[in-house]
Amino acid sequence: MTVNWAQVLFNSTITGSLYLIGAVGLTLTYGLSRFPNFAHAEFITLGAYIGYSVAEQAGLGFPLALVVSFLVTGIVGILCYRGIFQPLAKRGATIIHLMVASIALGFILRYSIGATWTWKPLYFTTTWSAFNIGPLRITGLWVWLILTAIALAILMHFILVKTKIGKAIRATSSNPELALASGINVDRVILITWFIGAGLAAFAGIFRGADTQIWPLTGWDIILPIFAVTILGGIGNFYGAIVAAFIIGLAENVGVVGLIALGLSTSYRIGIAFLILIITLIVRPEGLAMLFRRA
Amino acid sequence: MDPLLYVLDLIVFIGIFGIVALSLNLEFGFAGLANFGKVAFFLIGAYTYALLSQIGVPFYLCLVAGGLVSAIFGLLVSLPALRLRADYLAIAVLAFGEILRLIVKSEEFAGGDWGITVSPAISLVGASHRVDALVNIGLVYFCLLICFIVVQLLANSPYGRAMRAIREDEVAAEALGKSEVKYKAQALMLGSAMAGVAGGLYAQYLQYVLPGMFMPMVTFTVWIMVLLGGPANNWGVLLGAALVQIFNRGTNILKDYFILPINPTDLQYILFGALIILVLLYRPQGLLKESRIKTKAMEGVRRARNAVKNKGSQ
Repeated sequence: MTVNWAQVLFNSTITGSLYLIGAVGLTLTYGLSRFPNFAHAEFITLGAYIGYSVAEQAGLGFPLALVVSFLVTGIVGILCYRGIFQPLAKRGATIIHLMVASIALGFILRYSIGATWTWKPLYFTTTWSAFNIGPLRITGLWVWLILTAIALAILMHFILVKTKIGKAIRATSSNPELALASGINVDRVILITWFIGAGLAAFAGIFRGADTQIWPLTGWDIILPIFAVTILGGIGNFYGAIVAAFIIGLAENVGVVGLIALGLSTSYRIGIAFLILIITLIVRPEGLAMLFRRA
Repeated sequence: MDPLLYVLDLIVFIGIFGIVALSLNLEFGFAGLANFGKVAFFLIGAYTYALLSQIGVPFYLCLVAGGLVSAIFGLLVSLPALRLRADYLAIAVLAFGEILRLIVKSEEFAGGDWGITVSPAISLVGASHRVDALVNIGLVYFCLLICFIVVQLLANSPYGRAMRAIREDEVAAEALGKSEVKYKAQALMLGSAMAGVAGGLYAQYLQYVLPGMFMPMVTFTVWIMVLLGGPANNWGVLLGAALVQIFNRGTNILKDYFILPINPTDLQYILFGALIILVLLYRPQGLLKESRIKTKAMEGVRRARNAVKNKGSQ
């Protein structure tokens, strides 16, 4: 069996880009609010459906779908934080309670989506031009996905390093009391982070949906690899997430080659990320964070 | 469908999930462990039962084996996982459950997507469905009773008090010489054994096992039972198990009588989600509160306090 390694590498970049876009929001809110928001999966799904409605049902095209879906899902993120997590945290809920609440919120969103759009898978009908470069098979969608991930990485870097809000996010993430004492409006910083985080989840949902299909479990299907990226990268660490996303993408795609060579089912593909997740948690729960200055 | 059979079926389900809820109560309610992978141990019990009964092992040994294998996995998982923070543990065991489901879905020996047919534990010749259900009620509630007694005795023993102390304050309990990891590992092992037995009962009652029966959803249904009923209160979690099952059936029956603008299954989970958030916000102790610890020493303290109070009011 000959393996097209160039394609494997390229596919790793695609997988990594998707996971990065999905993980940025999770890692930022996890770092700031200090609990893993399992409903992030449903932010992804919701984003995909809103994107679908705008692009397909309203026929307004893909770029506008991204914008609208970012805004709407971002606002949903803010509402969820304000309506559920903030009151819970104020009442002194433990991290376990917050996690369970996020799963409960996930139920509400997931089944509301199912009730609104039914459980039948939906497909984007936008056709993407496909072309070959040497041994590589590439589609327009994948190019967009990779460009979005790169743009996101650069933009987030500038926001985190250069802007006031970015500095406030970093400060609040590393020490909320000190941030508050330095006059940072911590409450506003958290709300903005939830907005951006949920909005970016919507991007991940649209790209995933356009590449495969949309159904109410779109987000849940990829949430554990996204958790793997978040944890491998170090919670709240944006630069760690970039590296981790590509490590997991690479591991999954090289792993598939390995699975075929070993004669195992390729449905184990998703298990590779789970395994990395578990091993990271056990061996090095702080992830790659030490390799980077906390951001 | 036969209404009596429907009720009997409901009672069997309450019993099986009552066992799982009790096991989560031991882990979360008493020991403070966030087991988000409960379904993994339920799956292990069910598949152990199914595979063993295929080669002709008697049902009681299958059930015990399901519990044992599950307990061993519980111990194996706990060894590395218990040193983790609550959120890391939750994510790790959730992923563990998903890996197990992937394995039984992909491997030939476990029947893959099509699962395995399981023979019922006790099959009487020529018995009607109602009698079968009654036999199952006997079997399930016998196991439930044993689990209940074990958890109840543990909870009120010095052992259980140490467990609760660790849940409240790990550092203080460690300072008093109570090893956090030891207690939590034992809670996870015993909880997994109970979930394993419940899995075996489930497999033989439904007479098949499928990977689709063991979605993460099952874990969270059990969490709803525990949080709604009252963590660290065994009667509470049984009440929770009954309420969730009845609610489940209720919404399914309602759809036959009312035309809802929404799919009843969707509505059911939306309501479950909302219910859990409301419980966490307004009644985090659940419907039934954790009962006070009763010991002779505590009784003495209480009596002395009352005496002082009475004196003061005279």
